[in-house]
Amino acid sequence: MAVTNPRDAFAAYAAERLPPAADGAVGKEGRLDAAFAAVDGETRLVQDYATAPFHLTGGLNHDRALPGLATVYLQSPTGAVAQGDRHDLTVTVGEDAQAHVTTGNATKVHSMDRNYGRVDVALSVAEGGYLEYLPEPTILHTDARYRGETTLSVADGASAIIGEVLVPGRLARDEAFEFERAYTRLQARGPDGLLFEDATDLHPDERDPRRPGVMGDHDVLGTLYVVGDAAADPLHERVADATAARAGATALPNEAGVMVRALGARAAVSGTLDAAWDEARQTLVGAPAPERRKD
Amino acid sequence: MTDGTRVDESAVAALQFADSFLPAGSFTTSYGVEQFVAAEDVADADDLQALVGTYLDRQVGPCDMVVVAAAHGAAGGGDHAELRRVDRRLSAVQLPAEFRESSTRTGGQLLSLVADTEADAFLAAYDEAVDAGTAPGNYAAALGAVAARTGMTARQAALGLGYSFVTDLVGAAQRVLRIGHTDVQRIVTESRPAIVAAWEANEDRTVEELSPFAPLVDVLSTEHERAERRLFLS
Repeated sequence: MAVTNPRDAFAAYAAERLPPAADGAVGKEGRLDAAFAAVDGETRLVQDYATAPFHLTGGLNHDRALPGLATVYLQSPTGAVAQGDRHDLTVTVGEDAQAHVTTGNATKVHSMDRNYGRVDVALSVAEGGYLEYLPEPTILHTDARYRGETTLSVADGASAIIGEVLVPGRLARDEAFEFERAYTRLQARGPDGLLFEDATDLHPDERDPRRPGVMGDHDVLGTLYVVGDAAADPLHERVADATAARAGATALPNEAGVMVRALGARAAVSGTLDAAWDEARQTLVGAPAPERRKD
Repeated sequence: MTDGTRVDESAVAALQFADSFLPAGSFTTSYGVEQFVAAEDVADADDLQALVGTYLDRQVGPCDMVVVAAAHGAAGGGDHAELRRVDRRLSAVQLPAEFRESSTRTGGQLLSLVADTEADAFLAAYDEAVDAGTAPGNYAAALGAVAARTGMTARQAALGLGYSFVTDLVGAAQRVLRIGHTDVQRIVTESRPAIVAAWEANEDRTVEELSPFAPLVDVLSTEHERAERRLFLS
């Protein structure tokens, strides 16, 4: 049987040499480090290191319901991951700090004929801290090869809401599931070790993603992980019937919190995750989700 | 057999632990099929066959069978700590709550059974650890351990798990769907190569790389958790 382990597949891609880049090409190894700390009841962006293609807005304290929360937009003029790219993002939230990190636009994973693109994200939240990491969707163009590895580390009494939306192509031009391979994984750890792990493993040529039980008739997959003291039932009620996406909530292992999974059209999936974000935010920090300036 | 060596009974053990006659309570699980039928996403034998194929390829192969083999290795070496680690890893990647529930319920029943019947101190001690709450006792981990201690190979155990998974699932489907015995046996027959393929594609995978991926199954499982009328635990 021709099924390849994702590990072996990406090891083979990595061995493919890139065509020589133009002199002065930058941005293949984009790096971003952001650290937030609570200072006098307000959260400040205390560390901000970014290399091309990344740029970070300063911390904006414009969330009316949560004036102590700092909002940061991660900006990338290319908005893309190309072959050979290795992006490395680190977000650290200090004790009792509250931060919202998002991107200004969707991340497009371009067509590739050699190597692959990889994005590593390391998130950590200290005691009493709160992080929302809700980037815009990742769009997988024809022949894209994408590897995403996200780790979340939460201390006692810390909480986090992490969202991920995967769009399988430029749907408006009828491009869907024409990428080569996508493997993304989230690992969440608490003080006592691994809390839960979730992987997305798609290789459309080898296995039909629209099989029953996998994507069915749906295109877009969205997941919201609510890590902290949250119950599944209210989140399920909020998303199950009220949204156009096929969605539901379940309790995560090791009493880590709740997962909301949604399948459907892009707007429906994003809308479902926004509704779940609003619900979870009220539970975790007692404030509704704001209207975002980019919306 | 007069020289005191033990006969090789592993092939018989493999049948015993793959048999629906085994009182591990797996008849209480439908792996979400009940909800697929209730939601009219599975309406006939063809739909069911396709869904069984998805489960073998995306859940049983890259997750449960890998755990069976790793648990087999740990138990074969008498390593409780490693078995506990493998068992916990499985819990961490089974995201739908009711799948974890039915997995630990059936695994716990298998372990308490063999603690009484197998005269094996390793299995009895693991059963105590599960009772004491220091290990989850997932079915795939328990089966891998039992297999190693009764002389089965990891392959035998993994194929046995695949087989009993298919029979449990179609058995459940038979109670909620209008489907005849011949169709049910046809699905089991047609699943034979898929069970072997699921093992062969994943036999080198480690428990660090478990990647079950069936998001629509996850969503239907969240609906099933809350269904007002249901016959099955999952």
